Amino acid sequence: MDPVIQTVDLHKNFGRVKALDGLDLEVTAGQVHGFLGPNGAGKSTTLRILLGLARASSGAARVLGLHPWTDAVELHRRVASVPGDVSIWPNLSGGEAIDFLSRLRDGGADRAGYRRNKERLCQLFDFDPTKKGRAYSKGNRQKVALIAALVADCEVYLLDEPTSGLDPLMEAVFTREIRRLVSEKGATVLLSSHILSEVEQLADSVSIIRAGRIVDGGTLDSLRHLTRTGISFAQDQVDVQALQGLSQVHDLTVAAGRIKFNADSDRVHEVLPILGRLGVQGLLVAPPSLEELFLRHYGDALPPQSEEAKPDGGTHHGRSRPPAGTGA
Amino acid sequence: MGGAARPRGRALEMSRFFDLYWQRLRRDRWQLLSWVASIGALAFFATTAVASAYGDDASRTEILHVATATPAILILRGLVRGPALDAFTFFQIFAFLGVLAGLMNTFLAVRHTRAEEEAGRAELVASTAAGRWMPLAATVTHGLVGNVLVAAAVTFGFIAGGLDAAGSLVAGLAVGATGLAFLTVGLLASEFMSTSRGANGAAAGVVVAAYLLRGFGDATGEVSQDGLTVTAAWPSWVSPIGWGQQTFAYTGNRLWPLLLPLGLGIICVSLTAVIMSKRDVGASVLAGRRGRTDARPSLRGPFALALRLQQGAIVSWCIGGFIAGLLTGALGAAIQQVSIANSSVTAILRAMIEAQGTSMTQLVIAVLFEIGGILAAACGLQAVLRLRQEEVAGTAELVLSQPLGRIRWFGSFLGLGAVSVVLVMVFAAFGAWYSLLVSGESAVEVSNLWETAGAQIPAALLYLAAPAAVFVTVPRATVPIGWALLALGVVLGIYGGMLGFDKSLRDLSPFTHTPVVTNTGTDWSGGFWMLGIGAALVTFAFLAVRRREVGTV
Ligand SMILES: Nc1ncnc2c1ncn2[C@@H]1O[C@H](COP(=O)(O)OP(=O)(O)O)[C@@H](O)[C@H]1O
Ligand SMILES: [Mg+2]
Repeated sequence: MDPVIQTVDLHKNFGRVKALDGLDLEVTAGQVHGFLGPNGAGKSTTLRILLGLARASSGAARVLGLHPWTDAVELHRRVASVPGDVSIWPNLSGGEAIDFLSRLRDGGADRAGYRRNKERLCQLFDFDPTKKGRAYSKGNRQKVALIAALVADCEVYLLDEPTSGLDPLMEAVFTREIRRLVSEKGATVLLSSHILSEVEQLADSVSIIRAGRIVDGGTLDSLRHLTRTGISFAQDQVDVQALQGLSQVHDLTVAAGRIKFNADSDRVHEVLPILGRLGVQGLLVAPPSLEELFLRHYGDALPPQSEEAKPDGGTHHGRSRPPAGTGA
Repeated sequence: MGGAARPRGRALEMSRFFDLYWQRLRRDRWQLLSWVASIGALAFFATTAVASAYGDDASRTEILHVATATPAILILRGLVRGPALDAFTFFQIFAFLGVLAGLMNTFLAVRHTRAEEEAGRAELVASTAAGRWMPLAATVTHGLVGNVLVAAAVTFGFIAGGLDAAGSLVAGLAVGATGLAFLTVGLLASEFMSTSRGANGAAAGVVVAAYLLRGFGDATGEVSQDGLTVTAAWPSWVSPIGWGQQTFAYTGNRLWPLLLPLGLGIICVSLTAVIMSKRDVGASVLAGRRGRTDARPSLRGPFALALRLQQGAIVSWCIGGFIAGLLTGALGAAIQQVSIANSSVTAILRAMIEAQGTSMTQLVIAVLFEIGGILAAACGLQAVLRLRQEEVAGTAELVLSQPLGRIRWFGSFLGLGAVSVVLVMVFAAFGAWYSLLVSGESAVEVSNLWETAGAQIPAALLYLAAPAAVFVTVPRATVPIGWALLALGVVLGIYGGMLGFDKSLRDLSPFTHTPVVTNTGTDWSGGFWMLGIGAALVTFAFLAVRRREVGTV
């Protein structure tokens, strides 16, 4: 079966900035596909090209077999989307904006069941549709675009960091609704994010983008070997010798009264019985994060964008954390 | 201990204040520079143009006699204070400089107050130690410095043009003080309106009203015996631009009238402070109400969206056009009634003009419809500016991600722009027709009225077509180029003649080619040419918009 979304050697330049640098992406029908990458990696640019809002500098993109730039209108009948940075009209209420967008799509606001569906989604997302656009917070603006997209009956959903402004409760609602779309209608979803754990709950497969290229991908399980889970527990009288020799255990340190180490995520279950035998107290297990994955596997060639966030500004040794509790 | 802490606290506050001030100056530096440079350059070029076109006292005396005999044209000029070159230049250009300074200041005020609140950035600042007063103080300081620069630019512009230094300083101070008054008007408008668009519109409306009021006062003022000086009537005294004229720069060099704009400034800032102390950040006196749960059935398709977004602006422009129209009857009657008996020169000239079949009211109509035409052009320009705003805000992306062709989206906004241009002129004509009916004026045929209104439409439509072509090719330049085209068109086309600009220069302005409706027949060729050029530009824009990306910043 042909992939629903396919890009081949996609390039996009903004002046001298190479936003996309030979991107090859494939999304299979009926799947939720995670599109992971740090800020500035090119996720939004990719989605905008897939929607025909931006034009690729070179390379090919197909969505549902259509050319996004030339067949935009036909494509938009079958694709719903949420932009990365949602803004709505300051003098229209949220409810009006949703209705207006649905009418542009297919006269949706007049279809039987539309209103019921809209009300249901507003309630689920705890969204007040009577406020004027200027009064909404970022999360609420995002809900307008989300509800307008979810209420549409489409084959493909392109969602650009749709949960970045939502609280955890709403994220759970979102997850449930996406699952429904996929299981009931067989829709295909491309979901971009810069947080691994967000995508983890939903995605069947992921592609990881960095500096405009796909650097890794596959099913989520096949990626787990790349990540390590952080484990820590109280130091009191535990003999760490038993752990030090194990091949699953890395970077064992003792600091501020706690013992910490990282374990290969796909082998955590092998470590847990040992911890049980040791009788550790105050056990904490932190899930692997995208950042960790990047640092561990691609750290030597991190793009400058992700370095900027660090307070000491762009030097690579900034990455080795200073030991906690010095002088103790 | 407390004594030691307090000065340090004050020093900290001062440094925060300067941070806020620098932030404003940094953000505005190019914009402010171009306003100041344009205003100064206009003062300079007006002076040299007048000096070369009307070099001697005799030619200027002649012009002034015609002006006092046909006071309608004084609406677009100023207060007549004698034929000396410097006084004549001040008469020609001051009111327009006042409008430019006024617009610069109202936009500046709104940009740093209501617009910041609307974008949510003000909240960030208000929640820091900067509090709510310091940003206001920084904005006022920023405006003050801007007006000092404007005053200096005008002063040097006039001096460089060869005018008397002391009088030039008075003229510069008059422009600066006028600007300052409008700065505070902008601040107050920001308190009343809940959107920056609304605040900009209201404040700019006050500037235009001030211009028209002083025009009314100058046109109905008392003409002296020799027909070379006019004492303004009361409407000039309720206008900041009128106050600036009362300095009698070059002929009287009075500074006391400038106390009036300063006083108005103090009142407006105090009112602003009172309102600010009573409201939440982000709220306004005329706050937005709650909206509907569902859209009305009529909110369907891009044209309905354009209408919904633009309706407030279109209504305001139409009201502006209607008022300009209404003034014709009232002004025509007022001019007829002003006694010119004590000026034989003026009386003879007026009799001669009227003998040729041109009534005073017809001249009033011509002048006020010119203003109506500028309003209509601005209304057309706004349709394109709205498209650009939609794009920058990101709502264009939301709409164009739906199954809607770009051409339909683009065409809907332009179509509504064209409709609104026509509407503004319809309202102007209707206002004029009504006021003439009421004042019992019969000299003007009604068909003449509608023709004059229709004659303004081609030039106004060009201000829809040209910015549309800019929007599709150089999106980020849409706003500055749009306004610059309008300002240039007005300077060259409406003021160019009186300022003595070269014909080839004046021909660049669409307003120069607006057909002139007379009793003996009208040459429509200029109008058809402009319609043709407009159609070509729009065709080009439609072809180019298909190849253009959305959201190009
Ligand atoms: N319109 C634009 N002009 C110039 N540079 C751009 C533009 N849009 C995106 N970029 C650049 O392209 C790169 C990718 O951006 P984007 O696709 O928004 O990343 P992401 O969505 O993954 O955070 C960034 O370096 C960004 O600065
Ligand atoms: Mg993005």
